[in-house]
Amino acid sequence: MDKEEVQHTITMLKETKQSLLTNNSLKLLELSNQKIHSASCVQDIESITLTIIIYSLAKFIERRNILKIKHWNNFVKKMNLLLDLAVSALEKDNSKAYQDYILKAKSSLESMSPSLKQYAKEIIRNACINKASHIYKHGISMEQTAKLLGITQWELLEYTGLTKAADTNQNRTMNEKSRIKMLVEFFE
Amino acid sequence: MKVIIFDAGPIINFSINGMLDILESLKKSFNGKFIITDAVKKEVVDNPINVPRFELGALRVQALINKGVLEPPSALNIDGEIIKKESQRLMNIANHYIFSRGTWVNIISDGETSCLALSNELNKMKIENIIAIDERTTRILSEKPENLQKIISDKIHANVKVQLSNIEEFSSFRFVRSTELVYLAYKKNLLGIPGKKALEAALYATKFKGSSVTFEEIEELKKLN
Repeated sequence: MDKEEVQHTITMLKETKQSLLTNNSLKLLELSNQKIHSASCVQDIESITLTIIIYSLAKFIERRNILKIKHWNNFVKKMNLLLDLAVSALEKDNSKAYQDYILKAKSSLESMSPSLKQYAKEIIRNACINKASHIYKHGISMEQTAKLLGITQWELLEYTGLTKAADTNQNRTMNEKSRIKMLVEFFE
Repeated sequence: MKVIIFDAGPIINFSINGMLDILESLKKSFNGKFIITDAVKKEVVDNPINVPRFELGALRVQALINKGVLEPPSALNIDGEIIKKESQRLMNIANHYIFSRGTWVNIISDGETSCLALSNELNKMKIENIIAIDERTTRILSEKPENLQKIISDKIHANVKVQLSNIEEFSSFRFVRSTELVYLAYKKNLLGIPGKKALEAALYATKFKGSSVTFEEIEELKKLN
């Protein structure tokens, strides 16, 4: 990460912490997209994981009343401590420690509550699919994106098919009449 | 002899839409082979067979392989190792096309490049071929690479550097999507449901399951009929 990216990540982590304390799921959803550019181009595990964590946190907050998550406050404290440590690691230019804290934060999310293990798994899986569709929109291929996020192309195709990913001018690379003509002649 | 090389997308698309029988019917009306590489087979059978949600779909694709509708490259006496080697070469070129944020961007992976590699091998053998692919990156990279540069730079709100000379050889590949295959099936009365409405429904079905086709292109296909 260059200096500018480090500073941006620190700000983002601090805002994530604040949004978690105030249960601001909309802000978290917005923050979760801020690392997408880096996740798409650099394809580093930290950016990808961070975007998944923040999106999942937003989804947990949206549903916390329905889920009646036990020890939610303790979870928030633990998560924010890890985010603090991640910030501190970045400030000390210790990228290895930063990566470790981000991965620990993801593990903490996965093991939030034994009764919600399956649900947490589902939320994180959905976060991966959602972020994958954003990365695909950045011009990364379907397979490469699925691999980066650890999901199947089956999930990604279903999801992106319902988005506007295909409806851009840049997607048109050949006249449709010509493509059909080529295929019909090929079949003759 | 002609060959359609299938990437994972169209196979998954047909499977999820319950339209794999269209592939079988098209194969019967085609004087050639439908081939899938080992890397693509992993994506359409070997990996999803372990995911309960997609297990049935994967088994249906495996059944098509068992019936010989989809065949491995060895059916054309092409060694898998040759494809692997050529895939690596092509992947290296494609993944050194876009430079952004201080690094070359990995834009495509081994399943997609294995289709391109097989196409190159078939060209050497003078076997006419087309690649069926639903995802857009590989197709845009080959047919209009400047569009890929625009997609990425628009998304990251910054200029990206490209090595255009690297990817000149990609321009020789030919592509269709599941959407065009469905159109062809309709023209050949292979859709199984009569009427224009069936065409419209099938075209939209491919789009909503990930074929990178625009609504505008679907309208054009409907008018072509």
